[in-house]
Amino acid sequence: MSLGVDSIRECLEGTIPAMVATCSADGTPNVAYLSQVEYVDSGHVALSFQFFNKTRQNILVNPWVEILVIHPVTAAMYRVRARYLRTEEEGPLYERMKAKLAGIASHTGMAGVFRLLGSDIYAVQSIEPTGTRSLGEPSPGLNRLAALRRALAKLAAANDLELLLERLLDALALDFGIEHAIVLMVDASRERLYTVASRGYGASGVGSEIGFGQGVIGVAANARTPVRICHLTLDRTYSQAIREGVESSGNAAAIEREIAWPGLAEPHSQLAVPVCSGEDLLGVVFVESGQALRFTYDDEDALLGLATHLGVAMRQLQTSADTPDEVAALHKGASQPRGEPVRVRYFDADGSVFVGDEYLIKGVAGAILWKLLREHRQSGRVDFTNRELRLAGDIRLPDVSDNLEARLVLLTRRLAERGGCLSIEKTGRGRFRLIVERPLLLEAAGQRTPGATPPR
Amino acid sequence: MSGNDFPVLEEAVRALMGRRVSIIVASRDADHRPHLMRAIGWRPSADHRRVSVLMTARTSSQVLDDVRSNRTIAVVFSEPTTHHSVQLKGSDAVIEPTVAGDGQLIDTYARRLAEELGQLGYSPAFAHALLDHSESEVVAVTFTPTHAFEQTPGPRAGRPLAQRAG
Repeated sequence: MSLGVDSIRECLEGTIPAMVATCSADGTPNVAYLSQVEYVDSGHVALSFQFFNKTRQNILVNPWVEILVIHPVTAAMYRVRARYLRTEEEGPLYERMKAKLAGIASHTGMAGVFRLLGSDIYAVQSIEPTGTRSLGEPSPGLNRLAALRRALAKLAAANDLELLLERLLDALALDFGIEHAIVLMVDASRERLYTVASRGYGASGVGSEIGFGQGVIGVAANARTPVRICHLTLDRTYSQAIREGVESSGNAAAIEREIAWPGLAEPHSQLAVPVCSGEDLLGVVFVESGQALRFTYDDEDALLGLATHLGVAMRQLQTSADTPDEVAALHKGASQPRGEPVRVRYFDADGSVFVGDEYLIKGVAGAILWKLLREHRQSGRVDFTNRELRLAGDIRLPDVSDNLEARLVLLTRRLAERGGCLSIEKTGRGRFRLIVERPLLLEAAGQRTPGATPPR
Repeated sequence: MSGNDFPVLEEAVRALMGRRVSIIVASRDADHRPHLMRAIGWRPSADHRRVSVLMTARTSSQVLDDVRSNRTIAVVFSEPTTHHSVQLKGSDAVIEPTVAGDGQLIDTYARRLAEELGQLGYSPAFAHALLDHSESEVVAVTFTPTHAFEQTPGPRAGRPLAQRAG
């Protein structure tokens, strides 16, 4: 019985180039090396179309090819007989292959030479072992199905977004052995993603942003497809590590409104998986490693399964978070602010908030904090609900489907890391408390707000 | 084509001799469907006008059947560490028994390819598995290259290096 493409996916990781034979109209065979054979599904593969070469000329007149692939560990060889169907020049498969090719090109010293013109899709007719000797079974690695099962059990117990993200990072570290992971949520109106949780870095990078289309994460978001690169790429298109000058802010007067991307400067393996709920993109789960070929097709499948569940869970939690617990939150006596007043500045143009001279947050999360601080100043309120924030007209949530809870997780994390005298504490489902430990001097758009505490 | 092209083509063959190359042989059947297999060694004739690739009959049966029926052949020689590659094509291929010394030639070829792949991190066992054979099942496929093409991956792949008058 012929094998399916599923059975030989390890041969398609690009470790050892595959070879393809084609035949011209006059019956002359041709052999060419292939930089990339991509898994499409159990019955299809895609080859990278990079040059108008003999292979290209041949398949346009005679669609039959035979491909020889080699297992990178066992040396087992397989013959794949296939028929050319069509070329895709855009879309998820094309983006996936283009990203992966950037890694292969850099790895093989072909950066600047290899460029994807299209993804040639072939229907596989048969896959047969050549009958040469193989070095036996590869040593058993991680069982991804079992890891996925354990990971899903961890996620099932989470009853709010913050916990869900913690459990996800636990699962990636403990069940999949992944050392570096970042979860980003989508800000659809700005076509950007913001980091809401991370694991395995010196600084969490919570609040750092990636534009749609930028790096493997931005491409995964744009194309709604997993993007995986198996080697260090020199192609800046796929680099996330675009530091936006944060380290160099030795000048205290510099107004810096960017949070540094936490990721590895030179990742040798990267995998970004979109998190969706139906048609809506909610975010991206990104993992990386300093080791080449760290993530496989099986990792891609397992993480996509995990991300699919994450999308459903996020949507469910978002709905329930807007229905606060009926049980009134415990009103433990709110502590009185004491000590020297702290200046908090808000810039309406981008929603950015500075505590003292230090940049804290911007955008929707900044607007939320500003609203909380103003309410607190006017009425002394400390307890709030998610629902009232969603209904508030003055914080400009992009639309009702925006994940308010994710913004609150971001704000809570940033306050914990950089807020100093300010923090947020969850008091129940859909409820939280603002904790202010020092008197505040609130200034909007550089202007002092009337009635604020006088400057020191 | 003039007779001047002969030395050029023979030069292409001669230039391969010092290199540690992977060898892939392609053929096609009566329906013009292509087939391919790895060879386990090669040797030029004394005058470099003909080339023999050594193949394992058991694992190359389709390619050998094709060669028997239409004698058309394409062979790529490629150096894994540099990607330097050349493709030779011919239309007079014949299948011959091995000659004295071929066993030694295959062993030397395997050792040198293992050295080459070793530079890329592969164990000698890996290279020897790719070249697995038993001596009794080895045949030589001999042809006169009529065309040589640059095959190093990149935009120049497929450019003719030499062509013999036909």
